[in-house]
Amino acid sequence: MNDSMSIPHLVMNASLVVQLVMLLLLAGSIASWIVIFQRSIVLRRAKQGHRAFEDRFWSGVDLNELYRETPAEREPLGAEHIFRAGFREFNRLLPKTRSSQAVLDGVQRAMRVAWSREEERLNLHLIFLATVASASPYIGLFGTVWGIMGSFQSLSMAQQATLSTVAPWIAEALIATAMGLFAAIPAVIFYNRLSAQSSRLLGQYEDFAEEFHSILHRNLQGRGEREAA
Amino acid sequence: MARHEKRVGYGLPTLLAIGVHVAVLLVTAMRWPAGEPEQNTSSIVQATLVSTETSTDQAQRAEEAQAAARRAEQEAQEEQEQAAQREAEAEAEANDEQAEAEAARAAEQQAREEARQQAEAEAQRRAQQAEEAAQQREQRREEQARQEAERKKAEEEAARKQAAEAERKKAEEEAQRQAEEEAKRQAEEEAKRQAEEEAQRQAEEEAQRQAEEEAQRQAEEEAQRKAAEEARKKAEEARRQAEKAAAAAEAARRASESSLDNLIAGEAENIANARQAEQASNSFINLVRGAIEQAWILPPRAGNQLRATVRIQLLPTGELANATISESSGNAAFDRSVLQAVERAAPFREMRDLPASAQRQFREFILDFNPEDARR
Repeated sequence: MNDSMSIPHLVMNASLVVQLVMLLLLAGSIASWIVIFQRSIVLRRAKQGHRAFEDRFWSGVDLNELYRETPAEREPLGAEHIFRAGFREFNRLLPKTRSSQAVLDGVQRAMRVAWSREEERLNLHLIFLATVASASPYIGLFGTVWGIMGSFQSLSMAQQATLSTVAPWIAEALIATAMGLFAAIPAVIFYNRLSAQSSRLLGQYEDFAEEFHSILHRNLQGRGEREAA
Repeated sequence: MARHEKRVGYGLPTLLAIGVHVAVLLVTAMRWPAGEPEQNTSSIVQATLVSTETSTDQAQRAEEAQAAARRAEQEAQEEQEQAAQREAEAEAEANDEQAEAEAARAAEQQAREEARQQAEAEAQRRAQQAEEAAQQREQRREEQARQEAERKKAEEEAARKQAAEAERKKAEEEAQRQAEEEAKRQAEEEAKRQAEEEAQRQAEEEAQRQAEEEAQRQAEEEAQRKAAEEARKKAEEARRQAEKAAAAAEAARRASESSLDNLIAGEAENIANARQAEQASNSFINLVRGAIEQAWILPPRAGNQLRATVRIQLLPTGELANATISESSGNAAFDRSVLQAVERAAPFREMRDLPASAQRQFREFILDFNPEDARR
């Protein structure tokens, strides 16, 4: 194969529009890979943290102790965040009202807010992956169509059209499609994988919130009966 | 629940992502040059196959191999040349060094030689001067001796001249006398010769005249004789022709008498020949028909009423030149089956055994087919 058909040479000889398309696709690919790596690390750590927290929570430790144990200055993550938001609301509301229903409502609201924040944190940038996955094939196709268009325009000026005169143009045009697919395929695969992971984690958080809510409800119920007696 | 868990930065992912892309680029850049050498043939599009016998691209491969060999040879030659050049250069360098050393040595030698030469030249010059001086002295002496000798010679010469003068006078007188005698004798001889010549000329003229007359007479006689002879010859010729004519007339008469017999004999022969040829041709045509009917595969739905006539052209060797349906049966399948049968039955090698006249007859003949013949 001669030197003129190597990929770097073809990229350098492409027309400006095709080169811009390629640049865009390269940037999209790099950004999507950054997101992929960053999200993978974040989700793995969140999973590990959630498992550790659940172990600790269900080990029979006193809830007050657990609440005090975590340092207040750093922002808690995951299920711990939900637990702290709910328990803090519970402790604040308990002296102020006698209605256990009002306390439980307040706790649930606080936990829902915390869960929503966690959801936003876990799903951060995943939308970008979805965008790259769906758009980059089209962008690459646009580059290819533009390149072939240019090749046919210049072919109309040539005296005779052999395969060797058309081939370089088409090859360099097809590189754009290849780059689009190269960016899109990992983005699709990892978007599905990461979003599945994050939704599973969020489901686990929700389960935890329900369980915690039931524990608080049980406590309030017991205290209400004692007061009534 | 350590502190580093709180935020995951973007530095490491960025590095990883760029690493992935660089790796992919390297893979694409490395793979492409590796797969190139087999692309060299470039013969997929320009199909220039000529011969139908070599349906593969062996010829092309051979050509390529030849080209490669030629290239290799050229390269080898070039290398050889380069090597030779390098050697030559090295040799030249070595030669240069040698030459320098030699030159230095030569210069030294030259200097010594020059010194020696100078000394020699000096010595020679001195010797020469001495010699010259000696020569000059000798020359002077010789000169004196020669002058003396010349003087003596001149004296002798003078004495000899006086003696010679006296002798010459005597000789002149003698010569005058002799010359006079000679002249007298010459004159006499001259006169005698002139007289003789005159006589001879007259005799010759006479002879010539006589000879001419003789010749004329002879020529006349010759002409007369020739004319007579010619006339005789003509007469003879005429007689011969007349004889021939008579003979021809005789022959004609005899021929007319015997022609009837000849005619009858020829007729009989012709009839015999024709009968033989007919027999041969009948057997040949039966053979051809039999061969064709053996090779004939009737189409399944051909009725017995079908009949096709085929015009068959054969080469003298019996090979089929052409076969056409001259009268169709109306059933295309049937016609085709007949033609196929003829083609399958060819060649008819019995053609070579036929006499020449029959062969000419069977260059082109017509056979008609109907299924009843074949089934019989």
